[in-house]
Amino acid sequence: MSTLLAVDNLSVAYRRDGRAIRAVDGVDLTLPAGVMLGLVGESGCGKSTLARALMGVLPGNARIAGGSIRLAGEDLLAMAPAARRARLWRDISFVPQTAMNALDPVYRLRDQMREVLTERGGLPRAAADRRAEELFGAVGLDPRRLEDFPHQFSGGMRQRATIAMALALSPKLIIADEPVTALDVIVQRQVLDTLRALGRDLGLSAIIVTHDISVVAYLCSLTAVMYAGRIVEYGPTAALTRAPAHPYTMGLMNASPDLDRAVETLVAIDGAPPDLSRPPRGCRFAPRCRFALPACRESEPAAVAVGDQHRSACLRAGEAPALRAAAGRARTEAAP
Amino acid sequence: MAIADIAREGAAAGKPVPAGALARFAGYLWQNPSALVGLVIYLVFVLVALLAGLIAPYDPTEILFADDGQLAASLPPSAAHLLGTTNLGRDVFSQLVLGARPSLLVGITAALAVATIGSLVGLVAGYLGGFVDRTLMRLADLVLGLPFLPFVIVLVALAGASLQQIVLAVALLLWPNAARVIRSQVLTLSQRQFVEAARVTGASEWRIMFVHIAPNIVPLAFLYGSIAVGWAILTEASLSFLGFGKADAISWGTMLQDAYASQALDRQQFAWFVPPGICLVLVVLAGFLISRGYEELLFPKLREGR
Amino acid sequence: MTPLIQSFGLRKSFPLSRSLPQMLRGERPTLMAVDGIDLTIQRGDSVGLVGESGSGKTTVGRLLLRLTPLSGGQLTYAGEHIDRMGPARLRGFRRQAQLVFQNPFDAVNPRFTIRRIVAEPLINLGVPRREHGERVAESLRLVGLAEPQRYLDSLPHQLSGGELQRVVLARALVIGPEFLVADEPVSMLDVSVRAGILNLMRELKQRLALTSFTISHDLTLVRYVCGRTLVMYLGRIVEEGPTEELILRPAHPYTRALVAAVPRPHVEQPRERLPISGAIGSGSDPPSGCRLRARCPYAFARCAQEEPRLVPVAPGHLSACHLHSA
Repeated sequence: MSTLLAVDNLSVAYRRDGRAIRAVDGVDLTLPAGVMLGLVGESGCGKSTLARALMGVLPGNARIAGGSIRLAGEDLLAMAPAARRARLWRDISFVPQTAMNALDPVYRLRDQMREVLTERGGLPRAAADRRAEELFGAVGLDPRRLEDFPHQFSGGMRQRATIAMALALSPKLIIADEPVTALDVIVQRQVLDTLRALGRDLGLSAIIVTHDISVVAYLCSLTAVMYAGRIVEYGPTAALTRAPAHPYTMGLMNASPDLDRAVETLVAIDGAPPDLSRPPRGCRFAPRCRFALPACRESEPAAVAVGDQHRSACLRAGEAPALRAAAGRARTEAAP
Repeated sequence: MAIADIAREGAAAGKPVPAGALARFAGYLWQNPSALVGLVIYLVFVLVALLAGLIAPYDPTEILFADDGQLAASLPPSAAHLLGTTNLGRDVFSQLVLGARPSLLVGITAALAVATIGSLVGLVAGYLGGFVDRTLMRLADLVLGLPFLPFVIVLVALAGASLQQIVLAVALLLWPNAARVIRSQVLTLSQRQFVEAARVTGASEWRIMFVHIAPNIVPLAFLYGSIAVGWAILTEASLSFLGFGKADAISWGTMLQDAYASQALDRQQFAWFVPPGICLVLVVLAGFLISRGYEELLFPKLREGR
Repeated sequence: MTPLIQSFGLRKSFPLSRSLPQMLRGERPTLMAVDGIDLTIQRGDSVGLVGESGSGKTTVGRLLLRLTPLSGGQLTYAGEHIDRMGPARLRGFRRQAQLVFQNPFDAVNPRFTIRRIVAEPLINLGVPRREHGERVAESLRLVGLAEPQRYLDSLPHQLSGGELQRVVLARALVIGPEFLVADEPVSMLDVSVRAGILNLMRELKQRLALTSFTISHDLTLVRYVCGRTLVMYLGRIVEEGPTEELILRPAHPYTRALVAAVPRPHVEQPRERLPISGAIGSGSDPPSGCRLRARCPYAFARCAQEEPRLVPVAPGHLSACHLHSA
């Protein structure tokens, strides 16, 4: 399987109130072609910033502070801005958070689709219209509804329309930021199924950014868990969810309810994420980790392999089975 | 799972530090030099107005005579008369300093009146809606249709020229703008859940209006008030200049009127009519700078353009 | 025993804006947000109401707390008609029944300190001033904010979502109510923060012997805190029963779709196509007969003619679908 996206030691820094905050700090990611990757983490962990950095749409007060982004071998950051902009929407496209509110309320969907297809795609009008109908069909929307205005669509339909727009120029990769968060569960499932079908039929690769690991388990074969600007665990979703190898991932799993299993006590994760303008010394999760050792606060743990293509940035990754057992219990007074 | 464990979890959370409001304001001013300039200008004038009695070397209405018994008329600026004298022998500088009082008084009082009336109307119309809202907004529309200066002139001509009348006139004409905007804000706020929360915790509708919603519109009221200051000062000056002010009052407007009537321009007595003009411009400009800076404080998105 | 809350045929309609032709015809289109709900909540019960947006569930919550007037039907609290309560009785009612809101940042006045926010019910409902300080601190401790003095003078924007939601809970509990309605209490919070609030709610329920009514679109939440659940669709109850039973053996096609649609945190989970297609309809013009029939794969002739009524499918478990009597 060829590698579509290779991110190497990427860092993104914000300037806020005169301080520099590293929202993304030394992130490594590899995405093979035709695979969907779930990027999971709490609010403020940097996942949205990472998504925007990949797409090249960082806000004005943020900048890339290091590292590289290679799409199909080409270094995106080394390109001139014009060349990079040409890549946007053609090779990578983006479905931002609250995308359903990003549709222009005064234009019909047909006109908005046309604009993307003719301006960026260079298609003549008739061809653009045909493609728009095709795209609506691909996301499960009735092509006749191209005549409508956004407010005539429900939330889920608007979300699917935005996905259709993102697909306009047949990108290789879609990055979706919280694509289903604001939607009701049945609609959520419809949008997820749409994405799944696109992955299957068009061989679409995607990075799905979300705070809900259940969404990732449904849709993505690969998962990256992010905390305080770093990737703490990365691997095949099946292995990562069945046998998490990082205390934070264990925490996420224990906090996520499972409708298929009997009701068990959900275990919350103590405390709150660190202030990134003054990141703690050593492992960033250590202040909240019940398994933390003194060594954890000395230096940042390097990622260690814990399985096939599965790595965890934890000093105690080797003891994962014992830690998992302890993490599942409601409260332990001391680390094992 | 015991409360104690939950409590531990809560305690482990980061401690919220209430930021000093004064410190934040100071920091903001530092970043916004134009607002700072406006504030300084205002402070200077307010101080001058307050201390006018001490600063002015002469009584502004006193007709002065030179040592040789001659009328000290139309003297050029000198050590004794910093800005010279009028054609009737009055000290210009003293007039300037004391003239700050009526201008600032009118400005600030009118601003307060506009802010108060605008807030009350906006609050009541926005929250109660229905008939009350419609009536008040029709009234606002009516007032907005009136031409400003002519109306003020008529009012003052009928009711008599005094500072109170001028303040009244300005307040009567400027409240609709404030009211409309505050009403919109109140409409949005009424939909917020904290209003419903207030209801479910037993608050009466009046309490919700005046205790819960009102504090959230104070910034807007202040903004419109500060805009009204400039208008009020200019109105007073205009009225005085046009001769509708009180006959023996001293204000920058009357100074200009006096100067004009005495053909000071032809006689090139710049020290007489230029200073009051500049003062007017500065005070109005200061008001504008402050309100703009304050707007950016209220709506930080305006700042992002920088 | 008199149930704490009881409703028969509860209805709530909202007028819609009329077009000119409608006005000339004398028509007045309305949205029937709640269209005939029968509900019984006994003291000590924890009941859940599940539905998507547009189902009317939020309106039910508002009706139960008399935040909006009824359009029809009956609703009683401890045997008394809620809509007939006079001002004095209403104050008493407010002391007994409180609401926890969905978005903590929206549910508190952004200009008030935490102390002021939590004290609001005490101020309005006549608790002597000298008791306020202690009761506010006690309430904050109760919801897991162990050092209340750290929070008392803070403003809402200085707290995290989880902390602020605890404050909202503290405000609801400070007056010592016996009945708590929670409207989507954790949907605005991250999954990792939710567990803390949910455990808190469970613990509080037990400790304070609360009767609770939880409204949510999230079945997993309802399963965690509610013993019995009702499923709502376009203003009507389509299924009700013990929560576990509802999730393991859903009888109504809509409930079955809801259960199937929830993603699970593991890779081996059901991914079959959902039986329900399309989107929730609009309440202003519901179809004849069963409201779900346009989306339901099992619809047959009777579904268009007659609205199904709730019938028992197992002890304590009712469902409104013609399939049960077919």
